Amino acid sequence: MSPNDLAPPLRFPFRRADPLQPPSQYAQARATHPIVPVRLWNGRRAWLLTRYTDVRSVVTDARFSGEFANPDFPSVTEARVIVDQQERAFVGMDNPRHDHYRRMFTKEFSTRRMMALRPKMTAIANRLIDELTAQPQPADLVATLAVPFPALVMCDLVGSPYEDHAFIIECAAGRHGLLQTPAQAEQKGRELADYFMRLIRGKEQSPGDDLVSRVIEEHIRPGNLSREDFAEIGAMILRAGHDTTTNMIGLGTLILLNHPEQAAAVRNQPEVVPGAVEELLRYVSPVQFAPRRVATEDVTIGDVVIRKGEGVFALNPAANRDPEVFPDPDAFDVHRDASPHVAFGFGIHQCLGQILARMELQTVLPLLLQRLPNLRIAANEGEIRFKDDMQIYGVHNLPVAW
Amino acid sequence: MDAKEADMSVLKVRVDVEKCIGAGHCVLRAPLIFDQREDGIVILLDGYPAKDLHAGAHKAADLCPSQAITIDETP
Repeated sequence: MSPNDLAPPLRFPFRRADPLQPPSQYAQARATHPIVPVRLWNGRRAWLLTRYTDVRSVVTDARFSGEFANPDFPSVTEARVIVDQQERAFVGMDNPRHDHYRRMFTKEFSTRRMMALRPKMTAIANRLIDELTAQPQPADLVATLAVPFPALVMCDLVGSPYEDHAFIIECAAGRHGLLQTPAQAEQKGRELADYFMRLIRGKEQSPGDDLVSRVIEEHIRPGNLSREDFAEIGAMILRAGHDTTTNMIGLGTLILLNHPEQAAAVRNQPEVVPGAVEELLRYVSPVQFAPRRVATEDVTIGDVVIRKGEGVFALNPAANRDPEVFPDPDAFDVHRDASPHVAFGFGIHQCLGQILARMELQTVLPLLLQRLPNLRIAANEGEIRFKDDMQIYGVHNLPVAW
Repeated sequence: MDAKEADMSVLKVRVDVEKCIGAGHCVLRAPLIFDQREDGIVILLDGYPAKDLHAGAHKAADLCPSQAITIDETP
């Protein structure tokens, strides 16, 4: 029987049985029907890709569009439809428009530029760990380190005042939750774009050594980019830069502390750190319902026909647990080569800030373990709140002692 | 291919600046072969890298999300 005839399709997204593992349906599907139909909130059929090779091939296949504005674009909630329609940044564009806009920003996130930020990141992390250890135990690692560390790095890079970071995070969470109404999500999207517009106007008056000022000089003044488009792109950059690394620090610390020997290797062996960060990215895959595409014509893959107008979820978390590429995929192993993972996506939409995220994680995680060698989870059963209510997965809190 | 075969081969690296999206894997993985221009787009530093750099070249080509790196290998 072809998966096209499977009925009734499962309702997507799924709940996790184990908070530290992807939904078990991904592995079940991969073993039987690796391209499996699901039913979305609006009753429409979409397809899940659970194999690594399918994920990489579909997101680089021009027959599948990444245009968020396409009325058939698949979404996990009703609110996300509004968010997608509202999106005007290149994250939701096909080529050639995507590359045209993205290339105005690649310079800001280049590998050498991000590597040069390491000393600044180390200073920020040290200061936050000082503040953490001044607190009574147990303390919440999310509030004291996982949230403020990437926020301080981003604010410095972009040129936004650090006092605004709570507002930025509130806007990101309000737009990318799973429980918001469409009106609430739309409002939070607009508020952040409006905020970024005010930031642009401010930097036009008094520029600094930051992304906003440089983009004004290089692209706004010559007329390559409108302020409105920059505000949308800037809002996307702020959301992405605050939210995802925060989740990697929180959940990453939890996973490392669950594996004390591997945490010791990260603490004591600098050469282990880059690979350990890749393995954490593979294992956590916090951007859990992406990338998404819509078929622009009927496409046959194996025994499946994806019809024109049907949506596809090329699931990063499922691809990253494919045993064809990652043997014993559910084992966490900082010594494996996890580098082929697709936690940042693949194809032209792969994360713009991925080198920044790598440098942040390579800086903060070993430093935390070195400075607090007795760091441990100090939570009772059920006290850690996992982000089952969010599109970007992680922990809301992480009580620790040291 | 085993290590011995790789050791014998000649490897030619090509980059497509039109496809490049500046993701930066190549500079991270093989900084002696690749660099980025001021605008983040790839620069090929060494189109015929020495044998000890071949593994890094292959890794960079595999990880490149926009498939802007091509490797021709003649045994």
